[in-house]
Amino acid sequence: MGDIRPVYLEEKLKEVEDSGRLGYRSKALPTWCPGCGYFSIVDAVATALCDQGVPNEDAVVVSGIGCSSRFPFFLNTYGMHTLHGRALPVATGVKTANPALTVVAVGGDGDGFAIGGGHIPHAARRNLDITYLLFDNGIYGLTKGQTSPTSATGFKTTTSPYENPDRPINPLLLLLSYGATWVGQSYAGKPEHLRKMVAEAMAHRGFSYLHIVSPCVTFDKTHRTYANMGMKVRDLPADHDPSDKLAALREAMNDATPALGLYYREDRPTLDDALDGVVKRAGASPAVRKPRR
Amino acid sequence: MSTDIQIAIVGSAGDGTIAAGDILRRAMAEMGYRVISFDLYPAEIRGFGKCIARLRVTDEQAYSLKPRSDVLVSLDDSHAIPHVSEAREWGAVIYESGSVTPLAEGAHISAHIDPGQIPYHVPIRELSEKSTGSARSRNIVVLGYIAGLFRLSIDGFLRALNSKFKGKADIAQKNEAALRAGYEEGARWFRLDDIDFGPPPAKGAGATVEMISGNAAVVRGALDAGIDNFFGYPITPATSIMERLASEMPKRGTRLVQTEDEIAAISATVGAGFAGARTATATSGPGLALMSEMLGLGIIAEVPCVVFVSQRGGPSTGLPTKTEQSDLNIAVYGGHGDAPRIVIAPTNVEGCYRCAGKAFEMAEAYQTPVILLLDLYLSNRYETVPFPAKPPFEADMNSYADTRGGNAAGFKRYALTADNVSPRTVPGQKGGMHIATGLEHNELGRPNDQPDNHAAMSRKRHEKLQLALKHPDFTHTKRFGDEGKVEVGVIAWGSTFGEALEAMILARAEGIRCAAMKVVMIAPFPTEAVAAFMADCGDVLIPEVNYQGQFAGILQAHIPRPVTRLARVPCEPMEVGDILAEIRRLAGRTTEQQAA
Repeated sequence: MGDIRPVYLEEKLKEVEDSGRLGYRSKALPTWCPGCGYFSIVDAVATALCDQGVPNEDAVVVSGIGCSSRFPFFLNTYGMHTLHGRALPVATGVKTANPALTVVAVGGDGDGFAIGGGHIPHAARRNLDITYLLFDNGIYGLTKGQTSPTSATGFKTTTSPYENPDRPINPLLLLLSYGATWVGQSYAGKPEHLRKMVAEAMAHRGFSYLHIVSPCVTFDKTHRTYANMGMKVRDLPADHDPSDKLAALREAMNDATPALGLYYREDRPTLDDALDGVVKRAGASPAVRKPRR
Repeated sequence: MSTDIQIAIVGSAGDGTIAAGDILRRAMAEMGYRVISFDLYPAEIRGFGKCIARLRVTDEQAYSLKPRSDVLVSLDDSHAIPHVSEAREWGAVIYESGSVTPLAEGAHISAHIDPGQIPYHVPIRELSEKSTGSARSRNIVVLGYIAGLFRLSIDGFLRALNSKFKGKADIAQKNEAALRAGYEEGARWFRLDDIDFGPPPAKGAGATVEMISGNAAVVRGALDAGIDNFFGYPITPATSIMERLASEMPKRGTRLVQTEDEIAAISATVGAGFAGARTATATSGPGLALMSEMLGLGIIAEVPCVVFVSQRGGPSTGLPTKTEQSDLNIAVYGGHGDAPRIVIAPTNVEGCYRCAGKAFEMAEAYQTPVILLLDLYLSNRYETVPFPAKPPFEADMNSYADTRGGNAAGFKRYALTADNVSPRTVPGQKGGMHIATGLEHNELGRPNDQPDNHAAMSRKRHEKLQLALKHPDFTHTKRFGDEGKVEVGVIAWGSTFGEALEAMILARAEGIRCAAMKVVMIAPFPTEAVAAFMADCGDVLIPEVNYQGQFAGILQAHIPRPVTRLARVPCEPMEVGDILAEIRRLAGRTTEQQAA
C-alpha cells in the first residue's frame, strides 16, 4: 500500500489533452445521471478510436433508442441515432455502402434484446465487420424504470410491481450460438478493463460483441448496484482458451457471477468478404466508390 | 393497314399456356411489332388452375389490353368455354378438334361458339404427337398454327423459341418440328375471319426496343441510374425486382444483401443512404407497413433512399397474387407524425424505367425517401419499350457541402436555406461530422424540442418537396384526348391509367367530348395541373382498383370539388368496358346505341 501517490488535476488534464482522445469527444454534455456507468464507455471508445488512429470522419457510431443510445451525440464522429431496436440493420447499410468506415453500434439491453432481438443473429452470422457494444443495466432507464429482458426475476419495477415473473435471457450464450466471431464481457465499474476490452473488440475484424454490465444508479437500488456488481463479477479463469467455443459456452452458462474477459474469438470471412466474393463469382471486381466531396 | 390484334390463350396449369404466350410475345417483338401482355395464373405452383396469356399486338405502343380479343386459343376447353364470349364478332376461336374421350353435351368448346365467331378446329394433339412423339408440344403447335394462319414469318417464332430455350438443343429441335407442323396446318387453311396483321413498323434509329416486364424495367432503371446498394426481403409481387438485381448488381461490382425482414431492409437502405450510396429496397403492402417507422427516420434525418412498392390485394396477407391499388394511402400518409415524402406511380412499363431512375435523382436532390408505387398488374405485364442509347439519368444530384475549410463550430447539416435543401456531407468527408437523428433537431443536428425550431424544421421538410414538382425531365401529369372543355374528364393513376385512356379513346369514337389525365406524381400533389384540367371538365371520373377511392380522396383533400369515383376491387385490372359505361352515363348516353 506504500505506492499510493497523489494525482494532480493539472497533470491529469495535460495527460488527457496530449493523448488526443478529447478530439473524439463532442462538446455536447452527456444526458446521463451522475454516477452512470456509461460515462466510462464514452471514454473507452474515444480512447480506442484515438489509439487506433481512426480519423474522426471515418468513424460512424450507430445507435437505437434508450439511455445508452444517446451515445453518438457525445462523440465527434459521424453518427446515426436511429429507431428503437434498429441500430444493427442500419449499421449493416452503412458498412455495406462504405466498407472503409469504422462502424460501432451501441445500444441497451431493451433496444438489443427486446425490440431489436431479431437482428442480432443475422449481424452475427453474416460476420458484419462492426463492433456492437451492448450496455446492459437490466432496466429501461430513459422511460424511467421498466422491466427489460435482462431484468432479474423478482425485480420490482413500474411495469412489474408484483415482481418480474420472467427469467432474464443470457446474452453471451445467444451471441456465441449466433456465430459472433468475438464475444467478450466487461463491467462499467472497471474502466481500465473496459478500455482494454473496447480496444480489442474494435481491433477485431468481424462482428465483435462486447457485453458491458452496468448499474442504473437511478432506477435500480436493489439488484445491479455498484456494490452488488462489484461483489459478483469475476475474471474468466486464467487458463480460458478463447478459441474453445465449448469452454466459452460453459463460462457463459454461469451468469450468476458474470465473468469478465474475452470468451471467444475466431477469424471468419466477413460480410464484406462475402459480398466481394459474390462480385468475383459474377465475373466483376468490386466497384470503386464514387468520389464524394 | 395498322395492326391492332389481341390474342388470348386459355389453358390449364401444365398445358404450357404461359410459356406459349411468352414465346408469342417475344416473336411479335422480334418482328418489330409493339406488344402489351399480361398473364393470369393461379396462386398455386401445382394443380389444374386456369391460366390465361393475353397479348395485344400493335404498331404503336398500346397502353392497355382491349376489352375483347381478336383471337382466342383453347388449350383446355373447360377453362376456355367461359371465355368464348371474349372473342369478338368475326374473330377467331382456335381449339382442339379431336377429343380423347367421349364428352358430355356442351363440354366441347365448339358448342359454345357464336355464329359470328369464326371457328378453327385443329388436330393439335395429333400434330404434336406426329411431329415430336408426344402431346407435350401442343402449345408450340398452336403457335405455329397462328403463324401459318395469319401469314406471319416463321423466322421470328424460331428466334423467339431459340432465345427462350437457349442451350437446350434437343428441346429446340422438338419445338421447331412442332412449330413447323402447326405452321403448315395453318398456312393451308382457308380463312373467313377479318384479322389482318399489317407489316411490322420499321425499326427506328437510336433507341433499341425491348420487350420487358414492369419489374424488369424498374431494375433496368435502377441499374442505369447507378444503384450502389440494395437491401430486400422477398414478397410477391416485388420479389422479381430483387431477384434480377441479385443477378445484375454483382456484374457491376455493386452489392445486394437479403435481410432478415423488411424492417432490416429499410433500415439498411437508410443506413447506406446516409453513407452516400444510391440505395433502394423493394416490397409490397405488408412490407411497406413494417417499413413505415423507418421511413419516418429517413424523412426527419433527410436521408436519400428509394422504396419500390408493388401493390397486391389487402389488407393483411390479403390476395398476394391479385392486383390492387389499395396501398396508396399508406404510401402517401403511412407512418406517424407529419412525414411528407415523394410518391410517384408510373402508368406503363416504359414509365417504370423512367420513374425508377428519376426516383434516385429525386431522393438525392431533395434528400428524402422516394416511394415508387407499382402494382402486380404493372410489375408483371410485358410491353415493348424503346430504351435510349444513353441512360437519361443524372449520376449525382447531391448538394455536397464544401467542408475543406473545417467547421470549428460544428457542421450545420440541417441549415435552413432559401430552397430548404441543406448542403450535405457523408461519412469519410472531413469537417462534416454530424449525427443523423430521429429526434427533432436543430441546424447542427442536435436534439432540440423548442417550438420555433420544430416549426422551422417541419416547414423545411414539407416545403423542399415542392421542388420535386419541377424536377428536370419529369412529367408529373399529362393530358390526353380532346383539348379545351370536355363533357367528361377521366383522371387515373398507376396501371389503371391504361384502361382509362382506352375507355376515353372509345368514348371519343362514340362522339363524347372526353379527355384523360394521368397523374404520375401523387405526393407532393400536382394541385395546379390537376385543378386546371378539372376546370375544363363537366364531370370528373376517377377509376381506380381499390374499394375506398383512395386517389379520389387524396385529390379532394387538395381540390375540394365533387368527382365520380369508380372504385372497384375485381382482383384483376379494371375493365375498359366499366370505365366506358361510366363515361357514357356521365355524358348522358345511357347505351352504346344511343351514343352511336
